[in-house]
Amino acid sequence: MDEAKDQKETKQLTGEKTEVGLVERAKETAGALKERAVEEAKTYKDPQQTQVWKSIFRVSHERSDPRNRSLAILSNVFLHLHPAKINRDAVRYQYTWGMGGITFYLFIVLTFTGVLLMFYYHPSKILAFRDILYLEHDVPFGKLLRNMHRWAAHLMVITTWLHMFRVVLTGSYKRPREFNWCVGVVLLVLTLLLSFTGYLLPDDQLGFWAVTVGTNMARATPLLGHEGPFGAQLGLTPYNDVRFGLLGGSIVDANALLRAYIWHCIGIPLVASIFMAVHFWRIRKDGGISGPAPVMLESEMKVPKKK
Amino acid sequence: MDSGPNKETSVAVAESPAGPPVPPAGKVPAKAVAAKPPAVVVESTPEPPVNKMRRRIVWYSIAGFLTTCFLMFVRFFLPRAIFEPSSTFKIGFPGDYALGVDTKYQQMYRIWVDKTSDRLFVVYARCTHLGCTPDWKASENKFKCPCHGSGYDSEAINFEGPAPRPMDRAHVELDAEGQIVVDTSRLYKWPKGEKNEFNDPGAYIPI
Amino acid sequence: MENPKAHSRRNKLIALIVAVVLIGLFAYSVQDWHQLWKIVSAPDNVPIVAMLFLVPFFTWLGIKQAIQNDHLIGDLETDPKLAKTHHRKVEPWRPGWAKELHVWPYLVRIEFLAAVIVTVILYVWSITLNAPLEEPSNPNLTMNPSKAPWYFLGLQEMLVYFDPWIAGVVMPSIIMIGLMVFPYVDSNPLGNGYYTIKQRRFAVGMFGWGFLMWISLIFIGTFIRGPGWIWFWPGQTWDHNTVVFDRNRDLNEIVAGWGLTFLNSQPWKAIFGAIVVGTFYIVGGLFFHWLMMRGPFRLRYLRSSSELRQWATTPGQFERKLLANTSLLQYLTFQFFAVSVLLAMPVKLFLRLVFTIKYVWVTPWFNI
Repeated sequence: MDEAKDQKETKQLTGEKTEVGLVERAKETAGALKERAVEEAKTYKDPQQTQVWKSIFRVSHERSDPRNRSLAILSNVFLHLHPAKINRDAVRYQYTWGMGGITFYLFIVLTFTGVLLMFYYHPSKILAFRDILYLEHDVPFGKLLRNMHRWAAHLMVITTWLHMFRVVLTGSYKRPREFNWCVGVVLLVLTLLLSFTGYLLPDDQLGFWAVTVGTNMARATPLLGHEGPFGAQLGLTPYNDVRFGLLGGSIVDANALLRAYIWHCIGIPLVASIFMAVHFWRIRKDGGISGPAPVMLESEMKVPKKK
Repeated sequence: MDSGPNKETSVAVAESPAGPPVPPAGKVPAKAVAAKPPAVVVESTPEPPVNKMRRRIVWYSIAGFLTTCFLMFVRFFLPRAIFEPSSTFKIGFPGDYALGVDTKYQQMYRIWVDKTSDRLFVVYARCTHLGCTPDWKASENKFKCPCHGSGYDSEAINFEGPAPRPMDRAHVELDAEGQIVVDTSRLYKWPKGEKNEFNDPGAYIPI
Repeated sequence: MENPKAHSRRNKLIALIVAVVLIGLFAYSVQDWHQLWKIVSAPDNVPIVAMLFLVPFFTWLGIKQAIQNDHLIGDLETDPKLAKTHHRKVEPWRPGWAKELHVWPYLVRIEFLAAVIVTVILYVWSITLNAPLEEPSNPNLTMNPSKAPWYFLGLQEMLVYFDPWIAGVVMPSIIMIGLMVFPYVDSNPLGNGYYTIKQRRFAVGMFGWGFLMWISLIFIGTFIRGPGWIWFWPGQTWDHNTVVFDRNRDLNEIVAGWGLTFLNSQPWKAIFGAIVVGTFYIVGGLFFHWLMMRGPFRLRYLRSSSELRQWATTPGQFERKLLANTSLLQYLTFQFFAVSVLLAMPVKLFLRLVFTIKYVWVTPWFNI
C-alpha cells in the first residue's frame, strides 16, 4: 500500500499524468463533495435556521419567553394592531364579547367575497339581474359566494350593534374615549349605507323598491328636497334637488345603479377604511381595551369646587 | 381557557406581600399562591406529548380548509357557460363565389373566402405574427398586415415580413342543402417545416 | 347565606311561570301558523329572528356581570378596609400575579378561535339558506308589502307616525347626533370600564330604552306590518284584500270639536300646534328631570305607599351629586335629545295607534 502511494506521489511530483491518478483524483473530489453535501444537508433539516426563513421571519418562532412573545406582536405588521400585553381579564370574551373584532373580520370577509363577485357583475340595467342568475347557476361556487356576501353583511350589522351595546354597558365611551365613540357612530352609519347601496345591485324588485322608498325620503329633506319644507320656495325641482344628486336622475334607473355600485364598492369602503384606521388607532392611544377596570366607588368621585 | 392566564406569573410585579392576600369576592382558585412572590419565573410548562398530535390535527385541518378555499377560488374563475358568438356559421353556396379572394364576410366573421381552380377554402383573417387582421390588397394581389408588414399571397401563404407561417384555414364542409358551413374553432395550420394540414379533408371543399 | 339563594330560586321559578304563561297566551292567539312561519323563515328575516335570541342573551350576559360587580361595590362600600386592599375586580387576582398578559398567545388564539367559529357559522348559513332574488325590477309594479331591508324597517315604521322629512331625514339625523353627543352629556365618572347598573342606572336606562324602541320598531315592521302596511297581529293571515278605514284626525280638529271652532283655521292651527309642542317639551323635560333624580327603586316600595311617595318625591343623594357635576349645556343638550327622540317617538306612536291622531302641529309649510 505504501509503495503504491509512494509510486503515485512520485508520479504526481514528476507531473506524470496517468489514468489511474486522474480517476483517483476524480474519486477524491467526488468524495469531498459528497461529504460537503451531507454536511450542508444537515443544516437544512431545521428549516427555521436557513437564510430564506430568517429573512422572512425576523423573529424566532420559539415563543415561550416574554421577549419573543412581545416581539411576535411588535414585529408583525398585521399583529401590531394589538399591544404586546393586555389586561389579563380582557382576554376572556365575557367582558368584551369580541364583537368589534368580529365586525372587522366580517368586513374583511365582505371585501374578499365582494371583490370576487365583481368579476362577474356588470352594473348595467340590462345585465345586472342576469349576472346574479349567472353567478348562481353557471359560476362554480357562485351561489355560495353570493350567499356568503349577503349573510356576512347582515351579520356585520348585527355585530356592530352588539358592539355598540357592549360599549355602552361597560361605559367605555367615557373619558378619554368620547371621540372614538363618535368615530364608531360614523362607522355604524357607513355600515348601514354599505348595506343599503348593496341592496340595489341585484336590480330585483326587492332592491329596487327598497331603494325607491329610501331615496324618496330624500326628496322630503327640508330645504334640499323638492317636496320638503321650504324646498319648493327655494326653487328645487325633481331635477335639481338632493335626491337628484343621489340618484343621478329623477328616477331609480341606470345612473342610480351605477352610482350605488361605485359607492358600494369604492366610495364607502375607502371612507370606512379611513375611519376604521382612526378607530383602531384611538383604541391604542386611549389606553387599549377599557377593562375590566377596577371599580370606582361613589365616595371617590370628585365634586366640583363651586358647590 | 381559564387555567392558562391564571397560572401565568410574569416577571415579578413589585407587590410587597403586605399581610396575607385577601381573597376576592367570588371564586377562590384551588391553588393559592404563597405570600412571597416566586423567585424563578417560568411562563411555559413542559408539554405533555399528546398535545403534539392535537396541534398537528389543528394545523392540518386549517391547511386543508385553506387549500379547499384556494381550490374553490381558482375554480371560481372558470365559468361553466359563456355567451360568445357561435364559431359555426353558413356562408352560402360554392357557386356564389368567383375565383380569387372574397372579403364579403371579413367584418361579420373575420374570414376570407378563397376560390382557386380546384378548391374553395376559408382563410381565418388573423396574421400569424402577432394576431392583427391583414388587409387584402386586390391591386397588388396580396394580403398585407398593417402591424409589422407581413405579406401573404392570394392563397394566404406568407412570403415577406415577420409572419412565421401561412394564415390558418377554417374547417369547411357542405351541409345537406349544399351550403358551405364554416367552423372557425377548428383551424388548419401549415407550420414551417412541419406537416401541411391544408390538404386535410376538412380544410377545403373540392370543386 | 341561605335566604338570597332561596330568593333567587323563587324568582327564577316565578320568571319561568310567567314566561310559560306568556308563550301559552301567544300560541293560543295564533290563528295562522303557516303565515307566521312564512314570515319567520323568509331568508332576509332570519337575521332579525337571530337578533331576537342574541339581544336577550347578551343583555343577560351584561346584566349578570353588572350584578356581580354591583355586589362587589356593595361589599367595598360597607367595608372601607376592604376597599383599601382589594384589587377591585370580580375576576380573581393575587399579589404576584401579572396584571397583564401577553397578547401572543393568549389573546391571539382566542381571536383565531372566534374567527374560525364565525367562518363556520357563515359557511353553514350560506350553504343552507339562499339569498333572496325576486323578479327583475319593474318600475310599474310595486310589491305589497314593499319593505326596506330590516335595519331600515325602523325608519320605515316611523313613516306611519311622522312625515317623510321627519321620519327619513330629521329623526335619523337627530338620532345620529344624539348618539354622538351621548358621551359628552354623561357626566358620571363611575362605571368607566366595567359593567354596572347600580352606578349608572340612568345612562344605561336611557340607552336601553332607545335600543329597545329601535328593535321594537324593526319587530313591528317585520312581523306585524303586512300588505298595505296594515297592522296584522302575529298569526293573522296577511290578507291582501283587507281594507282599513282610518279615521285619522289632527289634534287641533279634535279640540276644535270641543267648541273652539276657530282652531280649524290658520293661523290658530299653527299657534295651537306650537303651544302643544312647546308644552310637550316642557312637560317632557320635567319628566326627565324627575326621572334622573330618582334614587334606586326597590320592589318593596310597591307594598308601602309611604315609601313609594318618599321615593317619588325625594331626589337620591348620588343623583344630586351627579346633577351638581353636570353643566347647564350638558343638561339642556341631554333634555333636547331625550325629549325629541326617546319621548316623542313613543308618544307619537301611542297617539297614532291608540287615538288615531295624525298631526299635532299643522302649518302651511310642515306638519308634525
